Amino acid sequence: MRPQLEGVVNEIGKVISGKREAIEKILLALLAEGNVLLDDVPGVGKTTLAVALSRAIGLNYRRVQFTPDVLPSDLVGFSVYDKQNNAFTYRPGILNGANLLLGDEINRASSKTQSALLEAMEERQVTVEGQTYPMQKPFMVIATENSVGTAGTQFLPYAQMDRFLLRLSLGYPDYDAQMDMLRRRQNNNPMEEVSCVLSKDELLCMQKEAMAVTSKDSILDYITRLALASRAHEAVEVGISPRGALFLDRAAKARAYIEGRDYVTGTDVQAVFKDVCAHRVLLKEQIAGISVPLLLDELIKNVENPDRHSIRDIFGK
Amino acid sequence: MNRKGLAIYLCGAALFLCLYFFENNTGTRIVLLCSVLIPLMPTVRRAVSVKDTAVKTGLPVQTVKTFSRAETDEPGDIRAYLPGDPVNRIHWKLSAKRDELLVRPPLSSFTVEEKTEKSSESAVPAKHYKKLSILIGLIAIALSLILLFVIPQARYALEAICNRVFQASEAVNSYVYEYYPVSSEQPVWPAVLFLGIILGACIGITVITGSRLMSLLLTSGCVVYQVYFGLSFYAWINIALFVVFALAMLKRPFRRKSVTMLVSAVLIISLGIAIFWPGVDAETERLSEKLRDRLSLVTESIAGGTREDPTGEKETRHVHTESLLYGNETALANKEYRLVTREEEEISMPRYVNYLRTALLLMLVVVLLILPFLPFFWLNARRKKALRARMIFGSEDKNAAVYALFQHVIAWLEASGYSEGNLPYRDWPQNLVPRLSEDYARRFKDCVAVFEEAAYSDHVLSEHERQQVYDLMRETEKLMKEKADTKHRLLLKYRDCLWI
Repeated sequence: MRPQLEGVVNEIGKVISGKREAIEKILLALLAEGNVLLDDVPGVGKTTLAVALSRAIGLNYRRVQFTPDVLPSDLVGFSVYDKQNNAFTYRPGILNGANLLLGDEINRASSKTQSALLEAMEERQVTVEGQTYPMQKPFMVIATENSVGTAGTQFLPYAQMDRFLLRLSLGYPDYDAQMDMLRRRQNNNPMEEVSCVLSKDELLCMQKEAMAVTSKDSILDYITRLALASRAHEAVEVGISPRGALFLDRAAKARAYIEGRDYVTGTDVQAVFKDVCAHRVLLKEQIAGISVPLLLDELIKNVENPDRHSIRDIFGK
Repeated sequence: MNRKGLAIYLCGAALFLCLYFFENNTGTRIVLLCSVLIPLMPTVRRAVSVKDTAVKTGLPVQTVKTFSRAETDEPGDIRAYLPGDPVNRIHWKLSAKRDELLVRPPLSSFTVEEKTEKSSESAVPAKHYKKLSILIGLIAIALSLILLFVIPQARYALEAICNRVFQASEAVNSYVYEYYPVSSEQPVWPAVLFLGIILGACIGITVITGSRLMSLLLTSGCVVYQVYFGLSFYAWINIALFVVFALAMLKRPFRRKSVTMLVSAVLIISLGIAIFWPGVDAETERLSEKLRDRLSLVTESIAGGTREDPTGEKETRHVHTESLLYGNETALANKEYRLVTREEEEISMPRYVNYLRTALLLMLVVVLLILPFLPFFWLNARRKKALRARMIFGSEDKNAAVYALFQHVIAWLEASGYSEGNLPYRDWPQNLVPRLSEDYARRFKDCVAVFEEAAYSDHVLSEHERQQVYDLMRETEKLMKEKADTKHRLLLKYRDCLWI
């Protein structure tokens, strides 16, 4: 792992115990310029994670707690009549100026608010009354969804789910991590200890480098075969979309970069495959014994990995 | 035993031993059993001295091994492959043994070599001469075949020859043949002339190309003839014939060792048959009789029964069967039945149908003769493919070399049952540790990284990295060879062609 990124992970690790894997994945999404959907129960440290991340990298952190009456204008800003100038002036919303936006409980927002956010995520700019305002760079949204207490909520439609690079779940800490966390919080707030180890510019540079990682045709071929296999599977209603395949490539590049390589291997694709694709696959119906993670495992098992795939070219087997 | 030898030997032996059980004439038996030996012959030829050949390929010198067989066996002008050498000059066998590419001298044929020795000319005219002679030979064969059937005189002569063969066969066996309707005074020389040309051309091509297949086919033809007609030559003629054929199959120039082996094998077999199975055995005779009858039925059904009238009459002897069947005494007396005219017969069954049938039969015979050797062709093709893959091991493109080398390692592991299926190679070592040594797993892991770099990055690898993977490949080969049991050895060598 690259030492700089290792440093970031360690800094965040000071406040979140035993979640190294999730931290790495979020860093991966950050490098791949993607957004993350955290699907979790309340109180497992989603906010802490986001705050720590913004502190360690020196990002502007904003947070929205979504409720049904949060309006799109709260996010993208609005124009208000200014009496002195006799003109409308633009009041920036929460999205402007944010590098890292934590959208808590996105499923509680009304659908128009959701779509406003999602457009901003996709286009990296907001347009208010004909005026286009670019977002800060880097920009990343970590949206959370609660799977409990869903009364009166509006779950993200499948099409919008597709726009998140990763869908993660932090999960409860185990015994050691829980003990460690309690012990650390006895006297002081560990968030204070998180120092900035990576500048915004360095991060932007790393993002560029990560996207310049080599993905050879054999890797693209593997991604394509995975996507096609998911679409052709008999239990699948909607398979991995073309955007999903694109995201898979990007995530694999970012993973290769994190690992300190400048080329993607089949292992990279496999490592990110489940997180990138789990929320893009819809099963036809609830058949006993088939779930999306199982199906993805099956795909990885059955689709020939690129290491082996080209063996035929040489030995004709 | 070399691989080609084994393959040919098994196929050939199966074919000839099958025939053997339906034959009980001592002379033919000797030929049959000796024929079993023929395919063995190429194996007598053995490897070369490597000392005086220039070694200049990508592979390190440590791979060069000296083989036990004599240093003087092969002429010294086999040399290392250089870029630009034609691929068909590569001496695959030798290259395989030495693990590097070697090319043959420009001319390998016996006759042509002699020629060049005399004239000391360059290879090019000699090669042209060779190609030209083969072409002329093939044209001569085709022309003779066509003329043999087109010229009536030649055709009648051929039929007369067949009649004589039938006669001879009937004299010593209890067979009954349907003779061709030609007069016994028919001169036979035109057919003999054309057959002679065909045989001569066959032999000529065999000599020029050094093709062993042709000799094998001639031997097979000879054997089938003797068995089918129940006509055997004297034992000594058979032995002489066999020796000639076998010598034609030996790789030139002749080795004293192989000739000695051949002659002693023939002697042992001849003596053995003469002493232990002389004369005729009633049971075998009955069985072979049965088989021959069945064969004639098949031939009859394919080639048809009608034959041509040689005297050029307007009417054939084929009687209108219906008029005979239903005609009564009076009808016969009134001569109401009639002969079928040639025109009528031509309409109901054109003559070319018979030719087509005969051609079909001939093709069937050829296919049957070739069939047993198919596995050998298949194995050989696989082997050449594998060797071509090995060419990359020493190539200048280190990435390609590393890639090929590592896939070769994987092929070894898979063939030896260490496959981890569709797991990426990076994850293989953890499963290899308990089954192979820890040290090996560690080296494997290092090489996976090199392999991935070669496969997925644009980096240019160094010779050191190639060497690292090369060492792993040697180590794998060694390990797998050690661990393989007899069955796996055969599979590795012949099916997977890894063991070269």
